[in-house]
Amino acid sequence: MSFSMEEDEFFGEKVFQHYCAEFIKHSQQIGDGWEWRTSKDCSDGYMCKTHFQIKSGTLVSHPETSAHAQTCLPMEEALESPLDDSEVTETDTATEVIKYEYHVVYSCSYQVPVLYFRASFLDGKPLALKDIWERVHECYKTRLLQGPWDTITQQEHPILGQPFFVLHPCKTSEFMTPVFKSSQKTNRNFNYITSWLSIVGPAVGLNLPLSYARAASWDE
Amino acid sequence: MAEEPESALQLPPSTAAEGDGPTEVSPETATPEPPSSASVSPGTEEPAGDTKKKIDILLKAVGDTPIMKTKKWAVERTRTIQGLIDFIKKFLKLVASEQLFIYVNQSFAPSPDQEVGTLYECFGSDGKLVLHYCKSQAWG
Repeated sequence: MSFSMEEDEFFGEKVFQHYCAEFIKHSQQIGDGWEWRTSKDCSDGYMCKTHFQIKSGTLVSHPETSAHAQTCLPMEEALESPLDDSEVTETDTATEVIKYEYHVVYSCSYQVPVLYFRASFLDGKPLALKDIWERVHECYKTRLLQGPWDTITQQEHPILGQPFFVLHPCKTSEFMTPVFKSSQKTNRNFNYITSWLSIVGPAVGLNLPLSYARAASWDE
Repeated sequence: MAEEPESALQLPPSTAAEGDGPTEVSPETATPEPPSSASVSPGTEEPAGDTKKKIDILLKAVGDTPIMKTKKWAVERTRTIQGLIDFIKKFLKLVASEQLFIYVNQSFAPSPDQEVGTLYECFGSDGKLVLHYCKSQAWG
């Protein structure tokens, strides 16, 4: 049964869950590590993923990245010893490794998905908001830092109740609408979550492999 | 006004992964375009080695974003999405704080460090890579 969202359809929680399910299907195919989690006491759920980032700028998400290695950022020569795939997350010579945890949660008040995340060093020490702002990708830094408090803030995770950083969602509807509209005409397999995450993710260190783009557009 | 010219325009060869972005192309070649455009250069592909070979990109505006007068560009494979974004922003005279997004398949935004050569290999067809671009406020 094909699913397509009407142009003015309300992006409700069910729609959110559907797109997440499709997204996770593809994640499983390529070993990208996303999972769906439900809270114990209600039907709420969210998508999450953990990955490790090395400070020199390389991105490491999973030992078995070789399958889609070409779509990840190229490894730089900061790591001196040649690495097996199995050793990719261990670093003898690297300077700093940060563990990121990303959660995609539905916001009832904004009726859009929201990206929650937290980050810590390997010794468990969490990153502060200031550290996060410093690590925002150059591409977005200027605009983000113009109003940092409007963009990345620290809030309580709506399901877990723990403090997380959040990318503020008040403009999500605004920037997703033209993409959604233009894509509707030609792309029957448009995935709102894929599209949205590809846009906001890179600002905070989350880069989706290119195969998600293909998965979202294939006629199946 | 007529459609975009047959020959693709070349982006300046600067490595624009970071920094100010590409500067204006030198005006030495004759151009039928208005002065605000980059110079026209004959042909699209260079006979140099593969790493230097350029790929053809067709840019399409999404939503209310201004449409570029010149839509077809020959771009080095190693140019990053960020570099392309900087170029388009400059071409459209957007201010630095305005956000511009580029999409493949009309809906997926490659990460800023992604090289256009890789995108061309994955998503190109009929000898070109179609990219949609959209100006928007993503933050706040």
